[in-house]
Amino acid sequence: MLAALPWVLHTPYWRGILVVCAMNVMLALSLNLVLGYTGQLNLGQSAFFGIGAYVSTILVKTYHWNFWLAALAAMGAAGLLGLALAAFAVRLRGHYLAIASLGFAVITYQVLLNWESVTEGVRGIYGILPPRGFGSTVALFYLVAGLAFLVYLVLGNLVRSPVGETLRSIREDEVSAASIGINPARWKAFAFGVGAMIGGLAGCFYPGFVGTLVPDAFNIVESFTMMAMVIVGGMGTMIGPVIGTIVLTFLPELLRGFGELRLMIYGLALTLVVLFMPGGIVQAWNALRARLA
Amino acid sequence: MPDLLALVLQQSINGVYLGCLYVMVALGLTLIYGVLNQINFAHADFVTAGAFTAFFVATRLATKLLGLPDTAGYLLSIVLAFGAGALLGLLINAAVFAPLRERGDELRPLIATIGVSVLLENGQLELFGPIPYQFDSPFTRETIRAGRIFFTQQTLLVIGVTVAAIALLYAFLRLTYTGKALRAVAQDRETAGLMGINPGLLIGLTIVISSALAGMAGALLGPVLVLTPFAGASVIVKAFAIVIIGGFGNLEGTIIAGLLVGIIEAFTVQYLGSGLIDLVVFALLLVMLALRPTGLIAERKEENV
Amino acid sequence: MSALLRARELRKSFGGVRAVQGVSLEVPQGAIFAVIGPNGAGKSTLLNLLSGVYQPDSGALDFDGRSLAKLPAHRRVRLGIARTFQKIRLFKQLSVLENVLAGFHIHHDTPFWKYVVLGATGRFHDEARELLEFVGLGARAAERAGALSYGQQRMLEIARSLATRPRLFMLDEPAAGLNAAEVDFLLERLERIGARGTTLIVVEHNMDLVMNVAQRVFVMDYGEPLFEGTPREVQSNSRVVSAYLGGEFA
Repeated sequence: MLAALPWVLHTPYWRGILVVCAMNVMLALSLNLVLGYTGQLNLGQSAFFGIGAYVSTILVKTYHWNFWLAALAAMGAAGLLGLALAAFAVRLRGHYLAIASLGFAVITYQVLLNWESVTEGVRGIYGILPPRGFGSTVALFYLVAGLAFLVYLVLGNLVRSPVGETLRSIREDEVSAASIGINPARWKAFAFGVGAMIGGLAGCFYPGFVGTLVPDAFNIVESFTMMAMVIVGGMGTMIGPVIGTIVLTFLPELLRGFGELRLMIYGLALTLVVLFMPGGIVQAWNALRARLA
Repeated sequence: MPDLLALVLQQSINGVYLGCLYVMVALGLTLIYGVLNQINFAHADFVTAGAFTAFFVATRLATKLLGLPDTAGYLLSIVLAFGAGALLGLLINAAVFAPLRERGDELRPLIATIGVSVLLENGQLELFGPIPYQFDSPFTRETIRAGRIFFTQQTLLVIGVTVAAIALLYAFLRLTYTGKALRAVAQDRETAGLMGINPGLLIGLTIVISSALAGMAGALLGPVLVLTPFAGASVIVKAFAIVIIGGFGNLEGTIIAGLLVGIIEAFTVQYLGSGLIDLVVFALLLVMLALRPTGLIAERKEENV
Repeated sequence: MSALLRARELRKSFGGVRAVQGVSLEVPQGAIFAVIGPNGAGKSTLLNLLSGVYQPDSGALDFDGRSLAKLPAHRRVRLGIARTFQKIRLFKQLSVLENVLAGFHIHHDTPFWKYVVLGATGRFHDEARELLEFVGLGARAAERAGALSYGQQRMLEIARSLATRPRLFMLDEPAAGLNAAEVDFLLERLERIGARGTTLIVVEHNMDLVMNVAQRVFVMDYGEPLFEGTPREVQSNSRVVSAYLGGEFA
């Protein structure tokens, strides 16, 4: 069914939206691992998205690396950055971590903006091509969606395994998790690292899709948007972020007739969900099924 | 007077001016944290809303509709921005914060404030569009000279308003019954409740005061900011840094930290761009969080196991 | 009996509060050892020092001949030290069974790529269910932990700690908040655990409770050691009684 989508929505515009949606799914899943399963309030995910985009692009354009090798390197770079943020997560909780991660994202953004010799800053990098063989939007969609699906499977296995139990234990109560032998620092590093790598992977495809690369695409607003997708869909579940992403990506497009109000969907959805249905759409769905049963 | 001294004094004045602006923004944040143990991510957007209110009051309402002179118009805009902030705070508190209060969860209210922030930003984007507005204060027109130091009436106005605001806030908290009740709620909500104080009401009051301060800060900041619906974001970054450095909920610390950040910025802005200032401030912040999460001046508390 | 746990001159202060001052004790292997004292005596702090939640300001701590200095809490679990908390700290959003399964964390040895690629699952379901039966929660395995009654939550916490297969099991005021029937059940279970060879340290505020179960009792007051002996000796010691009652008792 997924494969048929680009043919149902066959205008270039909608196909573009599909690609964006697939990328967002990957991002939402990566954030969900850290936020939903490990309970760490991470507002810095946009930084990893940006690092992935810039590292892969620069390696390909300036140093003529093969795209796939560059993508791996970008994932590695993002992962390392993720570990750096994890170091803060070890010592901080709740809103302190939220602000630290926000600061992290801001610093990354400023570095991307100001290190002009490497990143071209505001001027941007132009003429970026998608990976060889995936030039058309349709092909790119299959690639990104395929990868997103792979990520979904892998992460799903991970969270259903004892590793998932460990992460959720940390989320529920870090002190008693330590009392049963869980090393919070190590597992937070794991979660942040994996989350960062996947975020970086998503970033590799962004510049090729858009064609140009400017730091503004990795503003901290992106972190909030990602968070909205995870929470509205249902954080701490696997399907939740996917649903949340799809809803929040397509709904504004479908509401185009209503003018600029469609942008308020993000804020409205997030606020309403947090107020009335903290488990997101997944919770609402389960409640509905229980009622009808 | 010697060049270096003049330079230092000049930048100090600029620093204090900037510092006062930051303090005005940070005061509300730290107040909410002190009473509620919560961070309001939407605070920046209250500031922006205040700035926009002030803009429209000063440029349209006061001058065109009421025929007041520029200066009076600006002063009026400050007052009305204060009111607008209060109103907005009241609304948001009733709709979003109060209902979440009982749950005792730390994560949800925080995310709710993020939701409100996004909502306000996009709402203002809808109302005002993305193109920056030019908000000039009539008090910046004339430069005053004292020896080799230059400043404007705006500088004096901002510093004056800040000092007055701080003084009034202190007076309120220390001298009035409501203020003392508020401090009681900040220290121990349950016990305060048992003593006949209505915590919900006082928390609501705190939010209103905090938003009002934010609105007023917006009016003062208008001339300095690039006024778009996302203007708050550039300031909130520093406001958080200030509140953390000074210690969450710690008024004195916040004031000192705000002035410090303002002065540092004034001295270094010549050598680094404002973007890099953000970077330096935040790097400093991260270092602080790594070493002393509770701030420079706050006390340490062991987690109760 | 050789000493499994040996503490010498442990001290811990918080700001100006001297929570634990110069506490030395030896816990013999296989014993049921009680630590009692009035409220504020420093018992919980002592337990936190033993389990690694706090590091002592000074003093030595050995477990089975091995120094525990600087070893963080999660590493001590691997040595065989487990504990429960005075304020129940369960994973409330997880199910009863999942809570116990989490306790098997240190026993997993499957490399994690196998989980990811092959979708392998954990191996301890059966043992987890046995533990649930042991604490009387066998029928409630699928329920959310937060939905249990206080007494049941307490037993679940014990089951979860037992999953780590400890040699030394420390409980912080396990009977607090339990009704009489639940206390009887708890004490009987503790006796069984002790009978299997696990060394137990029970911190309790209520003197009578531990008298039936403990073999040796250590009494604290104001952070300092007050007395140590058999339950009988402790009960008849006038200093202990006056510490609890605040007066002379003939």
